[in-house]
Amino acid sequence: MASAPLKAQLTDLLNSMFAMDFLDEQFKELQMLEEASGPGFLAEVVTLFCGDAERIIFQLSVLINEPVVDFGKVDANVHQLKGSSSSVGAKRVALVCVKFRNVCLENDKEGCIVALHEIRHEFDELHKKFQTMLQLEQQIRVLDSK
Amino acid sequence: MASSQVVKVLIVDDDVVTRRIYRTMLLRFGFEITEAGDGKSAVNQFLTGNEYDLILMDNDMPGMNGVEATRTLRGMGILAKIIAITADDANSRGAFLDAGADEFLLKPVNFTMLTVILKAFNFLN
Repeated sequence: MASAPLKAQLTDLLNSMFAMDFLDEQFKELQMLEEASGPGFLAEVVTLFCGDAERIIFQLSVLINEPVVDFGKVDANVHQLKGSSSSVGAKRVALVCVKFRNVCLENDKEGCIVALHEIRHEFDELHKKFQTMLQLEQQIRVLDSK
Repeated sequence: MASSQVVKVLIVDDDVVTRRIYRTMLLRFGFEITEAGDGKSAVNQFLTGNEYDLILMDNDMPGMNGVEATRTLRGMGILAKIIAITADDANSRGAFLDAGADEFLLKPVNFTMLTVILKAFNFLN
């Protein structure tokens, strides 16, 4: 089957994402849901998550660069990102969110700047891998439909 | 149960990703789904005459949180089953149950856990 090499590539990608803790068991839960409900669910959830995360990270950069930081608003945004990242199984992003909330509780602006940088890095890495995953899935679907 | 044979569910969470995941989980059972992004919107659903059999309620939401929404709905005489599903630590469990929630789950929710509770509530054959 023409898509076999791509399927192998996709399997390797996902295995490495789990091995490196980019993803956790919750993502496997979503994979099972897709099997039951049909293709497109995972792509939709991943796309929703990435768009939402981009929005929140941008909002955080605005809030942290204010002359007087509203740590309550920062925490609320980080809490939201933690929730959505946990829901999709984005383990490393969720873990950095926990660290971020801790420095928020201490009203530590420098700590927030560092944490934001870490979240940006972790999300960017995950986003690249998700994009590769979605591209591979799309290519596989096209080949399998022929 | 609401007048229709179909189980009617209200998902209350300010996170669109989470709502999408719950929707997919529950549609597998043929439930009818409505979504609300905060506690006040959830309460308004009932104030405008809608009926639901089940509510999945987050806590940390803008405006009215899940505990307040639960308390308000119970005060209105709403008897729908309420499952509190939150990423808050387990300290909010007591507050939710005192407010009238029927069950409490910590996020992230998995399908098996939700199925067990739905069976216990007799929403599944």
